[in-house]
Amino acid sequence: MLSPYLLLLFLFGVLPLIMAIINVPSKSPSNPNGGWHVFKIVLHDFRLVPAMWHVLGFMALFVPLMIFFVLAMSLMLDVDAAPWKKWVRLAYIVPACVSGSVAVLLWYVLLEPTLSPFKGVMHWFGITQATQIWKTSNLTYILVFMAFFSLAGQWILIQFGSLQSISHEILEAARVDGCSQFQLATKIKLPLIRKYVIYMGVLVFAGGLQIFVEPQLLNSSVYHGIAQQWSFDQLSYSLAFDNGNFGEASALSLMLLVPSLIGALLVIFKTDMFEDVNFKSPKKLRKEALKREAVNA
Amino acid sequence: MSIDFEEKAQVTSEQPRKKRRKIKIGHFAVNAWLIFWAVLSVIPMLWLVLAPSKTDREVSYKNPLSFASFHGYIRAWKNLQDFNSGVLAHWVINSVTYNLAIVLIASITASLAGFVISASRIRFKKAFLISTLIMMLVPPVALVIPLFIEMNKVNLIDNPWSVILISSLYPFGAFLSYIYYSNTIPPEIYESARLDGCSDFSLYSRIAFPLSYPLLALLAFFAFVGNWGNYFMPYIMLPSPEHYTLPVGLGALFFSTPAINPGNGATSVPILKPEIALAGVLVAVPVMIVFLISQKRLIRGMLAGSIKE
Repeated sequence: MLSPYLLLLFLFGVLPLIMAIINVPSKSPSNPNGGWHVFKIVLHDFRLVPAMWHVLGFMALFVPLMIFFVLAMSLMLDVDAAPWKKWVRLAYIVPACVSGSVAVLLWYVLLEPTLSPFKGVMHWFGITQATQIWKTSNLTYILVFMAFFSLAGQWILIQFGSLQSISHEILEAARVDGCSQFQLATKIKLPLIRKYVIYMGVLVFAGGLQIFVEPQLLNSSVYHGIAQQWSFDQLSYSLAFDNGNFGEASALSLMLLVPSLIGALLVIFKTDMFEDVNFKSPKKLRKEALKREAVNA
Repeated sequence: MSIDFEEKAQVTSEQPRKKRRKIKIGHFAVNAWLIFWAVLSVIPMLWLVLAPSKTDREVSYKNPLSFASFHGYIRAWKNLQDFNSGVLAHWVINSVTYNLAIVLIASITASLAGFVISASRIRFKKAFLISTLIMMLVPPVALVIPLFIEMNKVNLIDNPWSVILISSLYPFGAFLSYIYYSNTIPPEIYESARLDGCSDFSLYSRIAFPLSYPLLALLAFFAFVGNWGNYFMPYIMLPSPEHYTLPVGLGALFFSTPAINPGNGATSVPILKPEIALAGVLVAVPVMIVFLISQKRLIRGMLAGSIKE
């Protein structure tokens, strides 16, 4: 009964990694004799450093903005349980339906001064032409807004959900002790949802590192050349499909996998996010039960 | 002395009033900000839904959030249908069939896996759970190039099964099922059923499955929401336009339309802004409907059952 899932896990989780590792030393135009020094070739690729700066700049803005904003909004939602907030929460989920190609379409419109629903505000700021906004130097900010706007709503709801797990007795006791709403949020609620904040941080970080669809679509379909090999994944894609360097593309994919793996292991082993998961084998569990019985006896 | 006492009494009675006023202003500011952000969240989607009601000229010159006519939707739909000899119908059918297959395979395999891990005494449980959690936390985009190499080796590039099978690996679903079965069915039930000679499969079909309807709905919901808008995987694996999904097709529409790329020559069929917006509606609205209906499930599910509501 486990085998269908295990088969999928092996074929599309483990095997691709093995294939990528096998593929790394294969011969390619930039590595005609093959060999493991392809990692060095990738690290010396002139496009890697700009891509790294772009992604680092993007992450430096996106990750803190997401965490700060999402926490502030979910704490504000949690101040009281007014019935109208149900509708506000429904509205927050709407941008989550807009991802990938639809997000590119919408942001093209939102930032186009002749089409945007916010064109009044844009004109007020003296922005009347798309070229004032759509330039490579602004791309980091545009992509941060795109990713932030798509993801913030659903994370607000998720963190709001995590705030509901705090027991009412704790909150009531703090209120009786004279805690203000601000103190309640910073001294009681935030420490109690710490593990969910780390969980969000890791997922947002890992997702941000692998940004691809938005810059790729902007570059290939909307403003040609605006985001050429802008991100790591675009570079990896270009190495594989434009240059036919699958060895280099695999090496870059493996290098990018490392931070995501570290993040995942950090969440699994260094937080109590999955504390309910029983990692112990049945043998160990039986031994522990026997020990407990012996102690009780 | 008495005057001094009265002054003091006035000051102390004014303090809580001031504090109350401050709290009221704070509350008002917080609520106003929450509503402002809600309005901001809805405006882009509103634009998307209203844009196909207008002509291309009206999209640029009319109020962006105004409604023109229902006829606009019909006109945009007809133009989209005529694009590239009706390729849009293929994209819609592809999106629906691929997603149906993914939701079915992913939900069944994940629920079976979660059940076995929670109910059976299997070896390597720890390794299995850790690898599932790792797969759950590593973004799928990270494995796209290695997956392409693998699919290329087995000649599945440009074959819809590549996307269906890859997307059917559902570690989040397996983990969710494991948590669900661990929390809803006490292990003693399995023990006594086993003593009565029940096999693992009859345990699942007779005891677990009838109790799994809420779980299966949750699994189907997340599998659908996660895959309907997926762009990268089908973009890489399915290069032929007749195999595109709606999100990839929308990307192709961007690329070919002079409405967004004036450098492109005019297409034989007028694919302009209203048509592109209608294609966007086709991608976004199904997910929006599912999201709005299942908001609570999303929150509980994303936290993988660790919240006790």
